[in-house]
Amino acid sequence: MQAEVINYIKFGIVSPEESKKLSVAKLTVPDTYNEDGYPIDGGLLDQRLGVIDPGLICKTCGARAKTCPGHFGHIELVRPVIHSEFSKVIYNILQSVCTECHRLLIDEKHIAKIKEDVLRPEVDGEQKAELTQVEQEEKNEEAHMSRASVMQHKKLKTSKKCPYCGTVQQKFRFSQPTYFTLGERKLKPDEIRDMLSKISVDDLKVIGIEQAVSNPSWLILNTLLVPPVNVRPSITLESGERSEDDLTHKLVDIMRINQRLEQNINAGAPQIIIDDLWELLQYHVTAYFNNETSGIPPARHRSGRALKTLAQRLKGKEGRFRYNLSGKRVNYSARTVISVDPYVNIDEVGVPEAIASKLTVPFYVTEWNMEKAKELLLNKNYPAVLNVITKDGKRKRTMDVNREELIKDLVVGSILERQLNDGDIVLFNRQPTLHRISIMAHKVRVLPGKTFRINYCTTSPYNADFDGDEMNLHVPQTLEAQAEARLLMDVKYQIFSPKNGGAIIANGEDGITGMYFLTKDNVYLSRDETEYLLGLSGIYELPSAQKNGLYLGKDIFSVLLPKGINYEQKTSMGIVRIKNGRLVEGTITNDTYGKGNGLFIKIAIDYGYDVLRDFIFNSSKLADAYITLAGVTVGVKEYELDEKMESERVRIIKETFEKVNKLINDYKSKKLEPLIGYTLRDSLERIIITELNNARNKAGDILVKHEGDGNSAVEMTKAGSRGNILNLEQMSMFLGQQATLSGGRIKRGYYSNRVLPHIAPGDPGPIAHGFITTSYFSGMHPIELFMHAVGSRGSEVYKALLTGRSGYLYRRLSNALQDYYVKEDLSVRDVNNNIIQTLYGGDGTSPTESRFAEIEKG
Amino acid sequence: MDKKDKSDKYIVNYGEPVGMIAAQSLGEPGTQMILRAFHFAGIESTIATSGLPRIVELVDARKKPATPITYVYLTGDAKKNIEKAEVIMKKISEVKMNTVIKRTLENFPKGMIKLISEEQAMSANNLTPSQVAQKISKKLNISAVVDKDKNILVKLKTKNVEEIRTMSVKIMREVVQGIPDAGKAIIQQDAKTGEFYLIAAGSNIKDIIEVDGVDRSRLYTNDVFAMNGLFGIEAARNTLVNELRKTLKEQKIGVDTRHLMVISDAMTYSGTIKGIGRHGLSGQKNSVFAKAAYEETVKHLVNAAAFSEIDNMRGVTENILVGKQIPLGTGSVRLAIKKEDMQKAAVKKKQK
Repeated sequence: MQAEVINYIKFGIVSPEESKKLSVAKLTVPDTYNEDGYPIDGGLLDQRLGVIDPGLICKTCGARAKTCPGHFGHIELVRPVIHSEFSKVIYNILQSVCTECHRLLIDEKHIAKIKEDVLRPEVDGEQKAELTQVEQEEKNEEAHMSRASVMQHKKLKTSKKCPYCGTVQQKFRFSQPTYFTLGERKLKPDEIRDMLSKISVDDLKVIGIEQAVSNPSWLILNTLLVPPVNVRPSITLESGERSEDDLTHKLVDIMRINQRLEQNINAGAPQIIIDDLWELLQYHVTAYFNNETSGIPPARHRSGRALKTLAQRLKGKEGRFRYNLSGKRVNYSARTVISVDPYVNIDEVGVPEAIASKLTVPFYVTEWNMEKAKELLLNKNYPAVLNVITKDGKRKRTMDVNREELIKDLVVGSILERQLNDGDIVLFNRQPTLHRISIMAHKVRVLPGKTFRINYCTTSPYNADFDGDEMNLHVPQTLEAQAEARLLMDVKYQIFSPKNGGAIIANGEDGITGMYFLTKDNVYLSRDETEYLLGLSGIYELPSAQKNGLYLGKDIFSVLLPKGINYEQKTSMGIVRIKNGRLVEGTITNDTYGKGNGLFIKIAIDYGYDVLRDFIFNSSKLADAYITLAGVTVGVKEYELDEKMESERVRIIKETFEKVNKLINDYKSKKLEPLIGYTLRDSLERIIITELNNARNKAGDILVKHEGDGNSAVEMTKAGSRGNILNLEQMSMFLGQQATLSGGRIKRGYYSNRVLPHIAPGDPGPIAHGFITTSYFSGMHPIELFMHAVGSRGSEVYKALLTGRSGYLYRRLSNALQDYYVKEDLSVRDVNNNIIQTLYGGDGTSPTESRFAEIEKG
Repeated sequence: MDKKDKSDKYIVNYGEPVGMIAAQSLGEPGTQMILRAFHFAGIESTIATSGLPRIVELVDARKKPATPITYVYLTGDAKKNIEKAEVIMKKISEVKMNTVIKRTLENFPKGMIKLISEEQAMSANNLTPSQVAQKISKKLNISAVVDKDKNILVKLKTKNVEEIRTMSVKIMREVVQGIPDAGKAIIQQDAKTGEFYLIAAGSNIKDIIEVDGVDRSRLYTNDVFAMNGLFGIEAARNTLVNELRKTLKEQKIGVDTRHLMVISDAMTYSGTIKGIGRHGLSGQKNSVFAKAAYEETVKHLVNAAAFSEIDNMRGVTENILVGKQIPLGTGSVRLAIKKEDMQKAAVKKKQK
């Protein structure tokens, strides 16, 4: 709910009159505190500018430190200075204007053209009556936009001779930060102000400047606004010493020079001295606005640290905009380590008692829940009410002494802050929050212990694991927020990723392995085992037994499937057929049950998200329990090669080396056909790399063919739960080619064109450039180990590089696209109503549900 | 809310911030991208930029891709006849002086440049030294002759060292055969249809399309700006989508094409190709606050003040800055109530 609406915010320049109006005190003393430790009147911490010490009272508004908003003061500069941040703007204006008659150096014809082509008139008196409020606003906005687009920092095309008075223009020069010359003469700030103020309102309009709000002559400062004390609070150190804010330091500098300049002028000092001091004053003011202005040495603290002045406060990642305004600190949140609990449902989160008793949920007292509210207030132990917020917004702690009184004072409109309880909706988040499913709504389950507990299946959207990861929890505080969390952010609605419509919340690793072993052909379980496995999900009906009195693994799995479901899928391990709620053919693998599967989509379409959520939860318990029962061992034995395989390995390597040698000979005799865009040498390199990579693929094929059932490592690969063929190859056959960052073979090393001194100079062969013929199991030769280390280091460096680059890409993308949304007519528009797409994605289909239609058809 | 209750069409929700979702869908897998993916077969994939660098290049709207590639399909007999295809290839494939000339020897006192021929390269491109000499003498208006060692002698009128040096550099840059900036082309055979086509390492499609025997309806390059220049903005948009999709597919990253469409449309809807960075879409936003919160904070605020800009507070960033609800999603819905109804309700309440 929002009551206030901000229609627009208009920017402008503070005029001298306005700054005097804003100011509550003229500051004259370039110091802060007197000997007694009190703020000096007329000093930079004058008590009229607000107070920061508790106990003192603001001399302007009479409020105390916490409530006083602070008030501006001002310094009268004895000589004007240029606002350095605007010097470029000033330069551009001056360049476009005649030095003598101060009119634009464009003839009337062109001015008329600009007015006609670019500038749109604002709504005036006559039109006002005809147009509606909205139309008027639109017109005015258009006028405004057009004006802002005319110049914006660019010099207009001007003539060298003034078309009005005929003066031949002298060359204007400007050098950073505030140095202006006309011809050979240096321009003083007051001269510049004279020139700026003589430009007519109409001429400024053509440049794009609205004189009433942004009069450029105001950019030459005579009065400098001093921000309130609470903008630049001083800190009292432990030693009792006071440490001033950087801004205060800079202001002291400005005031000191200002005072000295004044004394010198009054004493009639020579012009040179006055000019020097004037320039010094300009420097200090420049540094006060932006201490990183190019062309000035940054002002430094005693310790040598550069001062953080106004521009530095706003800029960059730690600046006001990105650190405090785009991102805000919140209350009602908690953070702790996460750990797994397979008995916590996927849309739940286990919350430690310690956290549940600190976090609160508001209970809005109405005439209908008054009794319940009183009951709650009576609870002395968990779940108790921690605070009562009375109708006038005062927060009162509940204590045994005031409980009765609080109950008595309870009225409609009071808010109770009760402790977090089972079933409350909370938002759960893990950083980095790269996509929207990094924040999901979970239901609270208060549990003993000190960690947040989540189901394994929910880790992937968060990209979480349990090696010490911490996560954040937020309690939505309004009913709207709670409702939106439940209806939009609930885990069950996030099972399918908006990225590609595949299931992202699904079982993995052991869960897949367990399901794979359970649903293999000819898996029989005893009645005891079956009862145990199904009992975990609260199912007490047994599937029909086989003739031998045992129960088929596939049937046990089928019990969990929704009643009557039909589903068919071709997987890498053959067809999987579910008929009328029963798995009749095939084995469940990662393709049917893991991330991105189609079975979940089928369930979601036919039975809804609640059924799907419970299916994921119950089946994961089943899989975990079964793998515990059956046991899977992966040992060194799984990776040992027998004699036959060893000879295959040797053969592949020998063949590959022969091929590569032939390529090298072809190259030497120039018979090699070069690739497009590549020299002969580079082509050789590319072809060799392809050849060497092929060797590993060949090894993989042989490995899969040879290793049959019973090898747990291969079984896991088949189930798709962990490991792939490449891993197996590298562990038992050979490692293959080690690559560098740029994707080539390892080349750098000794001057004589070799990687290591053990290699012949210029040898283009496989071993010389990092091809490894041994496996992790057999161990590597010294040269191979070195090459492996080169590859590993390279990929580690690259990973670090990539995260930075992709992070920046993401920031840029989200910034450019954040204002786009889908309208009622399914067109994509930005917030200014520009049409980006006439129909979202060409068909209006939601990417999250992009696969639904296809699965529904079957 | 349950999707089961909806009609059989699975339509986007009204108010869905599809831009942000597109950004997240492309940004989140960024970290998973690897530089050297396992390529599909084919030479083009071994020479083209891939992975994150390619994505960045596309989305930044760089004027020239690091590795431009043009696919030239052929018409008529050339489809099946490799000799005819070769003729077309020769017309297109760009041969520069520096491929047929090994090096240059400058004789400053005599004002002569000797170009040492690379005979192999010449014969590979069906060129003879005299042909080359003729070409350059015509193009650069100089006298070039072939000597007995099959090298080319260039005689200049000047003896100025600087001019001679510039000329020799100029000569080496000259294109002797094919289309400038078309890049070196080779013939490929489509594995499915068996037809021949060309792949060129350049993107001068404006000139390639003029060559006889080129199938104009299927000419394609990965250079988005070249596509825009020849076929227009919609072709450029489709090229963007295609290239993004191809790059992601190589990395085995599944991202719905609709997200790539939103990104591509955002970059092209104005009629020109805009990058997404500070100099493109983000820098051209209407809102002062949105620009200031993104990059170059001070610059945007100073400009806003000098030109008395107005921020209409419609965007996401602006409303977050001031702590208001953003205008997307559930925030894009407004609730209105008739004045009379409000008054009626107030009366009722009083009666109670």
